[in-house]
Amino acid sequence: MVAPSATLSVLNRADGSASYQCSSTGSNILGSVNAPVELPGRRDALKPEDATIEVFVKPGTAPAGVGERYVEGILKTLLGRVILGREKGYPRRGVVITLAIIGGESVGRGDPYLILLPALLHTALLALLSASVPLSMTFSATVLAVDESGQIRREPSAEDAATAQSVHVLAFSSKGHLLLNESQGSFDFDTWEKVRQRASAICHGTQLVSADGDVAMAEDVDGRPLEGTLRETVEDQVYRDYNWKINAA
Amino acid sequence: MNKEAPLSIAERDFILNALREDVRLDGRAADELRPLKVTFGEEYGHVKVQLGRTSLVTRISAEVTKPHDDRPFDGLFTIAMELTAMGSPAWDNGRQGDLETYVTNVLDRVVRHSNALDTESLCIVKGVSCWSIRADVHITDYDGNLIDAACAGIMAGLQHFRRPDAVVKDGQVIVYGVDERVPVALNITHKPLAVTFHSFDEGKRVILDATRREEQAAEADVVFGLNNAGDVCFMSKFSGSPVDAMVFVNKTSVALDKVKEINAVIDKALQADLAKRAKTGRAEESRAENDR
Repeated sequence: MVAPSATLSVLNRADGSASYQCSSTGSNILGSVNAPVELPGRRDALKPEDATIEVFVKPGTAPAGVGERYVEGILKTLLGRVILGREKGYPRRGVVITLAIIGGESVGRGDPYLILLPALLHTALLALLSASVPLSMTFSATVLAVDESGQIRREPSAEDAATAQSVHVLAFSSKGHLLLNESQGSFDFDTWEKVRQRASAICHGTQLVSADGDVAMAEDVDGRPLEGTLRETVEDQVYRDYNWKINAA
Repeated sequence: MNKEAPLSIAERDFILNALREDVRLDGRAADELRPLKVTFGEEYGHVKVQLGRTSLVTRISAEVTKPHDDRPFDGLFTIAMELTAMGSPAWDNGRQGDLETYVTNVLDRVVRHSNALDTESLCIVKGVSCWSIRADVHITDYDGNLIDAACAGIMAGLQHFRRPDAVVKDGQVIVYGVDERVPVALNITHKPLAVTFHSFDEGKRVILDATRREEQAAEADVVFGLNNAGDVCFMSKFSGSPVDAMVFVNKTSVALDKVKEINAVIDKALQADLAKRAKTGRAEESRAENDR
């Protein structure tokens, strides 16, 4: 499994930005964050003590539709829990997150966004970090497809996802808590539990011991945990940004 | 918000006074383009254009649809440009501003109405099915001169794009996948490009390819749409103060030079990309003829 590659602060005008290339699905997503910004009108009337989070997903080769609005809702709920909107300077201001799918297969009209959701989440997170928006924690996410024989496949292609029994997206916080669980298709609880364990192994690489004492071997297949890859991307960027300081010391 | 932060009076005066001494902030001559870079992505019709600090991504896509009832022989071609908060914090997501309407209109006129893409060649079965070509422009960074950059992006994309081959057999339309048959290039009739000038001091000073700051300080803009042969397919003086008629006469020839210059950059990038694809891509292995 090839790790995804990402670059931080690729744009000039936006406060923070990230370009994310998901190697398995081939999608390339560009994310930008503007925060804190003045919001037009009185959109903050409901929660005056909190920041208003706006997420905009722009498909690559089609007009935005219901699918985009739906996935924006998911992203907004999750990011709303992660962003510290009550920090100084943020209440009554907006955090505007724009995610454009600028490469790879587009999601067809009416098709679910689940296979792209982890890439969108990671892009949003990296862009937020690049914009120095206060966050309570970081997270990592993955998508898994379960086929008829019960085999779990990591980051399926669009065709694989279409023929799969069920598709699951799970996001874990940096402390290992389950943050997001979006599933589609039919599955039982045992399947879901297996999916959760595998997803947790992909994101954090924790050794999971099943009920009969067997240690799951999934980690070897999945290579480095995602959390580490994301962390390293940010570390690299910070190292480059503070190069002047390190050299001067 | 929907408006860029205005220039301060001092900044405006600085730009204007410098221009009166024939100096631009970035040291360019009045009729000089910023460095233009055109790169192609992995898939067909994926173009990245970088003009100074303005950058955008164009993606061309094709799908089979039904033609309009009143034009059964014509395929469809649409240019979609949506300004998002990515390009500039002044733009609102999902809300159309004045700039978006204006630029979309100019692009439509220069590229679509000048018949740069031959829509009749997109027809598959008369009145039943045709190709619908869509050009999506994603602005990633905005630093002035959106029109010229977007126009170059769309034209480069159209020349780079390959649509899947479609054949009519016994009244049935068969669309072959990219793996099955060599995809077909679009039929481009000519290569029009837009060139934008901005005027200062009641039209006495005219500069090409203004940056965002220069645009904000300018009094008026003049847009030309020309192709390599020098045919003017679009000319607009949309708003702002009046411009002397001689500006139009003089600047048309400058615009022609610039169109040739931009087209040369696009052609060079296209050739380099095709050469790269010929080495690694499927074009070679799917070719029927042998080296003898």
